[in-house]
Amino acid sequence: MRFRQSAFLGTLLLLTFSISATTDNVSGQSTPIDIAQNKIVQAFQIVNQADLDGASPAAISQLASNLNLALSYEQSAIQLLPTNKTGSGVYASLSLNMSTTTAVQALNVASAARTQTLLSQLGDYSLAVASGLGSTLLVIEFHRVKNFVRRVRLRRLRLD
Amino acid sequence: MQRRILTFVVLLASFSLIYSSITYYALSKAPSQPFIAWGVFSPSETLSNYFSGVGMNVTTHKILTWHFEVTNQMGSIQYVGVVYRLGNSTSNNPNATAPASATPQIGNTSRFIPNGQTAAINFTWSINSENQAGGLVVLNMTINGQQVFSPIGSVKGLKFRFFFELWTYDLAANSFLYGYEGPGSRIGNWLQIWFNAA
Repeated sequence: MRFRQSAFLGTLLLLTFSISATTDNVSGQSTPIDIAQNKIVQAFQIVNQADLDGASPAAISQLASNLNLALSYEQSAIQLLPTNKTGSGVYASLSLNMSTTTAVQALNVASAARTQTLLSQLGDYSLAVASGLGSTLLVIEFHRVKNFVRRVRLRRLRLD
Repeated sequence: MQRRILTFVVLLASFSLIYSSITYYALSKAPSQPFIAWGVFSPSETLSNYFSGVGMNVTTHKILTWHFEVTNQMGSIQYVGVVYRLGNSTSNNPNATAPASATPQIGNTSRFIPNGQTAAINFTWSINSENQAGGLVVLNMTINGQQVFSPIGSVKGLKFRFFFELWTYDLAANSFLYGYEGPGSRIGNWLQIWFNAA
């Protein structure tokens, strides 16, 4: 079920990216580098949300490494632009792909983190209520406990 | 019987409330002040001796390899930018609220840093040539492999200084902003290193 949800969200994200990329191209103002830069920021936004949702430090560290890789591709694209437009385009495309992949991974991580946090909190509060129930029963039925202890003592005395 | 049920309900509610409060307290994050710490390190991994024991003088074609170490303690991943500017003794400093906008930017680097981690960012530079312009010495430099012509000059090539400013990406503003988001307001953070073009 979670996989389906993640797959749906991932597809939706890819579609959004594709549509926004198409729109950027149609407008004729954005270069591939601009598009790559925008995608990096969008991916950062999702990774940041995953972090705030309680994703594990290891998962966030991996996503950050991917974002840094996307950033280095983008830097290479900028550096190559004056001398090698084709090469620059290739790096911009690599950056775009890496940002998109990272964003999809971040969505999955965020979804898993939210579920994990919810289940963990549910477990903790259930334990609190169960402890409340146990304490209540202990207080109400304390006389029975006392009687039980007395009976055990008596039995031991008889055995002795 | 009714009294017993009432006692049970009241006790259950009270105990549940107490234990839930304890759980809430245990699950809550401890309050902490967010900050980003950083420094510029010399090749000997120290916060001094940037010019390898030859005072502040930098000769042409001498390659200096420094690096920044930026630690993120903001509570979540940060998109950090370091802006480089080259000024002289009369340039206005950045401060706690504003960057040194009047001093031209000669480069920048950005990096994603997860919470609680430190990133090392290289800053390798050299002076390619010193040129005279209006009685001042202006520098043609290479910074991180990129050729840079600084418009700021200095008398006899003395008392140049790098300004390094810390910027962070603000998702609400959708752009990099100077400093980082502190409790209540942004906190500007900058470093400087003086040198003479000898």
